[in-house]
Amino acid sequence: MDALDPVIHQPARLQIMSAICQLKDDERVDFTFLKQQLGLTDGNLGSHLATLEERGYIRVDKEFIARRPKTFISVTSSGKAAFTAHVGALQAILQLK
Amino acid sequence: MILCITEFSVVNITPEEAAQALREIEASRVAMRSAIQAHRGHLHLWLWGSLWMSTSVLNWDDNPAHTTASSLLMVGGGLTSALIGILQGRQVRAPVNPRFVAVCITILLFGFVAWPVVLGPPHGYRAAFGLGTLVWMQLYIVAGLWFDTYLLWLGIAATAIILAGLVFLPGLFWACTLLAGAVLVGTGFHVRNSWK
Repeated sequence: MDALDPVIHQPARLQIMSAICQLKDDERVDFTFLKQQLGLTDGNLGSHLATLEERGYIRVDKEFIARRPKTFISVTSSGKAAFTAHVGALQAILQLK
Repeated sequence: MILCITEFSVVNITPEEAAQALREIEASRVAMRSAIQAHRGHLHLWLWGSLWMSTSVLNWDDNPAHTTASSLLMVGGGLTSALIGILQGRQVRAPVNPRFVAVCITILLFGFVAWPVVLGPPHGYRAAFGLGTLVWMQLYIVAGLWFDTYLLWLGIAATAIILAGLVFLPGLFWACTLLAGAVLVGTGFHVRNSWK
């Protein structure tokens, strides 16, 4: 049985991972769009993304579009695997009930 | 004794908390999927399907006076499509595949420049519209082979309908392009509703 991942289990990060795991493998989501979808603040989302990036679960790309800085977030294969394992662990806990 | 609990300490939770976490995952998943659904191409299919249908109705009587309006509709469609692409690219984007773009440019150059120069311009608006739509359907077929099967079948179906109108049923040409437009619109609804 997979163990719960403490990095993913934090509620905001769980929300972030659930959302970006819906993207196709080569897709990236805009920071502002993700912030609006999740109802988080800039600082809150930024700090959780930094934690997830540090763990190698997501990739953060910064680029300039029409001279404006834009941040795009994508999930890595290890991030998808970790999230799947975390969901599996949650489901296993329910089955043990 | 000092008990030190870090943020990343081992997680032990009750079944109720696990159930709550799964509910939150599902809620977030559903919200994001619904937002991403708007980026799956159905807006372009609805737009171009409607434009083909409008052009077919407009040119039903083969009145040359309507060709300018039809061309303007197509230009408007191109601009609207570009705007949709730019706006959607600001939210969710996929990397551009340079090889696919090169193939598309080659097909467009052959279809709209090389063949008309070598074989002469199409005879009348009907032939020009048929040629134009067939060139775009080649792009759908290539995109279908490259990325997503539904585009392949859409391209083949629309090509078959338009060719049937051009070659076998000239009297029903505009009815055939109307049907091809309806196929585009219908595929748009399929894409919009089937992706859960």
